[in-house]
Amino acid sequence: MIAPVLSVQRLSVRIGAARILDDVSLAVPAGGTLGVVGESGCGKSTLLRAILGILPRGAEVPGGAVLFGGRDILADGGASARGRIGFVPQDPYLSLNPVFRAGDQILEIMRRHAPGTRRDHRARLVELFRAVQLPEPEAALAKYPHQFSGGQRQRLLIAAALCCDPALLVADEPTTALDVTTQREILALLQGLAAARGLALLFVTHDFGVLASLCESVTVLYAGRVAESGPTRDVLDDPRHPYTRMLLACHPDRATALAGIPGTVPAATAQPDGCRFHPRCPLARGDCALDVPQPVLHRGRVIACPYHAEALPEVALA
Amino acid sequence: MPEILGARELVVALGGGRRGLLGRRTAAVRAVDGVSLSIAEGETFGIVGESGCGKTTLARTLLGLQREATGEILLDGRRASGRAPPAARRDRAAVQYVHQDPGAALDPWWRVGATMDEGLRIHGVRDAGQRAARIAEMLEAVGLDAAMAVRYPHELSGGQQRRIGLARILLLRPRVVILDEPTAGLDLSVQAAVLRLLRDLRGRFGLTYVFISHDLSVVRRVCDRIAVMYLGRIVEEGSAEQVFAAPRHPYTRALLAAAPHLDGRASTAPPLTGDPPSLRAVPPGCRFHPRCALARAECAVTPPPTDTVAAGHAVACHRWRETVDAPEKVPA
Ligand SMILES: Nc1ncnc2c1ncn2[C@@H]1O[C@H](COP(=O)(O)OP(=O)(O)OP(=O)(O)O)[C@@H](O)[C@H]1O
Ligand SMILES: Nc1ncnc2c1ncn2[C@@H]1O[C@H](COP(=O)(O)OP(=O)(O)OP(=O)(O)O)[C@@H](O)[C@H]1O
Ligand SMILES: [Mg+2]
Ligand SMILES: [Mg+2]
Repeated sequence: MIAPVLSVQRLSVRIGAARILDDVSLAVPAGGTLGVVGESGCGKSTLLRAILGILPRGAEVPGGAVLFGGRDILADGGASARGRIGFVPQDPYLSLNPVFRAGDQILEIMRRHAPGTRRDHRARLVELFRAVQLPEPEAALAKYPHQFSGGQRQRLLIAAALCCDPALLVADEPTTALDVTTQREILALLQGLAAARGLALLFVTHDFGVLASLCESVTVLYAGRVAESGPTRDVLDDPRHPYTRMLLACHPDRATALAGIPGTVPAATAQPDGCRFHPRCPLARGDCALDVPQPVLHRGRVIACPYHAEALPEVALA
Repeated sequence: MPEILGARELVVALGGGRRGLLGRRTAAVRAVDGVSLSIAEGETFGIVGESGCGKTTLARTLLGLQREATGEILLDGRRASGRAPPAARRDRAAVQYVHQDPGAALDPWWRVGATMDEGLRIHGVRDAGQRAARIAEMLEAVGLDAAMAVRYPHELSGGQQRRIGLARILLLRPRVVILDEPTAGLDLSVQAAVLRLLRDLRGRFGLTYVFISHDLSVVRRVCDRIAVMYLGRIVEEGSAEQVFAAPRHPYTRALLAAAPHLDGRASTAPPLTGDPPSLRAVPPGCRFHPRCALARAECAVTPPPTDTVAAGHAVACHRWRETVDAPEKVPA
């Protein structure tokens, strides 16, 4: 196996009484594409922040490591990640300073982290703006953030994340504001970079269509823990963890009614004991409320549920 | 049902007249350029289209946050346009907006419960107990723990912020709600809950929705009628059924064919060719012609008239009849 560009090992993150991540492990090889999915509030953005070494004030890491190119990012406060991991944040609106031209803000990042002159940087940025489908890429350099539409701001940030030629791109829902034709161009661009330059991709998404077309493997998070992980195709075709199965049953391609999973993701301050999914799980039984399920390996997949082979009752999927 | 909100030949110019930092005059662009629509009371009216085609600008203008250059807006059959933003917004208080960027809608220094409470108070709910009860009820409806009310926006995840933004507006029970990408970034189970909530509220309070979204499978399920926008114009409009089952405009067809599927199957259409369109250089004739596989000489010269395809189904394309015989697969 190729040495991974990124490897997260048994990572846990807390903020005060909130247990946001517990024992999360994953790896992305060079040129590899990993998708992270899971319900709102289950810790996806926090995982990305840990990988970038930018956890919020007050966050503690009681255990685990984040290795990027062999170095522990948590140990050096993110220094070895700077300029080498591209990041597309979840909220493009909050990530750009409204009083500076968008182009200048990105050129400033390049000045600090990318080799070359300002002219090289401008040329490279215009090329990137074109690649992310911004209209009139030259003129876009001089515009202020509010002069772009929501989806255009999102694409600005994708260009910004790629501007220093990173080894790893970490993206938090980067195509939510894009129509499907534009989205398709962006996904093709990223796939091209992964294939041609070995760019490794870690993609948080709620969109299973995007997951299916972009990501080779997937990690499903639930309430701060890994529920299931493995090759995307296998997981989508034959989800095993009850949570994955119920989540996929909500997909409009599969669901007939406006199905949902009964109940809600627990607050990070009130995580249930045992399996965190047990209060919502139709397969749950006594021991599920007591023991943290140990991940088992099943046909190239990791599943954190001892009852994954059992059929779900029909009503749970209705 | 009668029209509750309408627009006639609406034109919106952005960025004009303001001087840039270097003292240069920036030319205005017409982000909305001749849009007419009629939204019936109680319906869910979908707006889809390419990123940057003018959906948010149209929404802001309907709300009275942005002044129209020409054209009219009608609310309850009465002319509601012609005034500048603060006054226009007051006139159209019955129309509310759920912001595309959840972070832009919440005050970072206020606990989210306080923001919601303030909204209800401004809307005249005097009784504090009643306000608290309605907030708790609404939080539950969007799938959030009532304890979330004491959090600050930065202590919430992206999807939690979006749900707070939605709850904050729905609490006020406006008559028309413009939802700008209400399900973006929500996972499937929460999305299903939010869509159910919207449907229930519509039934209970007779709300009307304008639903702007890039998610075609959601639009298909929740919208009664759909308008497809391209570069500031509506190019096709019809019932959800008509637009999805028999799309006539080549742009609509390209859009429907590009939707990614769960099974990872390749899209049924070639990607759109050509550069993304720019408002500073709007193509003459049909605005879509430089990227259209069906384009002929006349498309580059004459703007297409809006033709009626069937009752309630209209398309602005010179060559829509040729798409009739070439049925394309649309996403299931
Ligand atoms: N203040 C402004 N000055 C100049 N141009 C602007 C301004 N605001 C928006 N625009 C341009 O107007 C067009 C329409 O923007 P709008 O935000 O309405 O698009 P949208 O359809 O909502 O797109 P998205 O799906 O990406 O949110 C875009 O091309 C945008 O760049
Ligand atoms: N400062 C904080 N104090 C307490 N809880 C917090 C804080 N910051 C985040 N949380 C909680 O941690 C959990 C994980 O948040 P995170 O942003 O990682 O979720 P997410 O998986 O990215 O969700 P989404 O899909 O909605 O963006 C959430 O339940 C959130 O409310
Ligand atoms: Mg998030
Ligand atoms: Mg918009």
